[in-house]
Amino acid sequence: MNTEMKELEKIAPELSKIKRESPFRVPENYFDDFSTRLQAKLDAEPIAVPVKKNNIIRYLKPAIGLAAGFALVFSLAYWPLKTLTPNQTAESDVQEIDVTDMLFASAVEGIDVNSFFELLEKPEGNERLSDEDLASYMNTNVSEYEIYTQSANQ
Amino acid sequence: MENADRKILDGLKEEKTRNLAFQTLVKTYQERLYWHIRKIVLNHDDADDVLQNTFVKVWRNLETFREESGLYTWLYRIATNESLTFINSTKKRSIIPMNDASEFLLNNMVSDEFFEGDEIQLKLQEAILTLPEKQRIVFNLKYFEEMKYEAMSEILETSVGALKASFHHAVKKIEEHLKTRD
Repeated sequence: MNTEMKELEKIAPELSKIKRESPFRVPENYFDDFSTRLQAKLDAEPIAVPVKKNNIIRYLKPAIGLAAGFALVFSLAYWPLKTLTPNQTAESDVQEIDVTDMLFASAVEGIDVNSFFELLEKPEGNERLSDEDLASYMNTNVSEYEIYTQSANQ
Repeated sequence: MENADRKILDGLKEEKTRNLAFQTLVKTYQERLYWHIRKIVLNHDDADDVLQNTFVKVWRNLETFREESGLYTWLYRIATNESLTFINSTKKRSIIPMNDASEFLLNNMVSDEFFEGDEIQLKLQEAILTLPEKQRIVFNLKYFEEMKYEAMSEILETSVGALKASFHHAVKKIEEHLKTRD
């Protein structure tokens, strides 16, 4: 008898009298059939096969999540603003015009409308304006109505 | 780690051999885990459910097993947790408020056709049920399974000293219960 048993007998004589046999039993062939029943349970449940996930995706996941979050916040804030206040956003678009365009615009602003059309009539003029320059000038200084009336007068 | 466990673990890592290795794991440990669970939940049908849930959990969490502990220890830990989860869920489901589940477990055991204990065995089970859950597990593992404290320490994540003290207190309480009921 080992020390533990002797100790047990000393502190618990009543317990030591009881045979250490299991009062429990199992149905016949229980352990033979168990794995088959377990397999049926595993097949019935939609269990993800424990395959290791791709490491790169696992590491990129937080960054992708963060980017998606920013995109969502941006679209939630930007689109309503653009839809509800088109004028303000248009103004802000103007502010983004290139500096060169602004210089050109300020230069053509100084030209009188009549002198501009006179200039167009003189093909031998030294300065030749490109279509883009013309379109830019028209957009900046002349309304559609003025273009129509000037064309009608010609 | 035992060679058999090493083989099982190697088999589980490869997709081709995973199913076969898992079947071997089940065959190797089903009986030991069943008796461990049965001593906690006491009723056969409940023990069967808990054992199945244990293996389902093992299958689902194969990836998380880091091999820091032995396979045997890991399986016992899952089985213990599943058994305690079962008892706690029984407490929650019960219409009658239960401070502890001992009464339910005792009735469940007595009504179980697969309990064949005599009067003295019933008295012993009654006495064991007076213990707090963790102390009950310590007592069962030491008294019936004669598990070493070191192995028990890994499963229950408790120091050997605390386990020895717990077993000593459990034995004293059971002895007291057996004396008073005579």
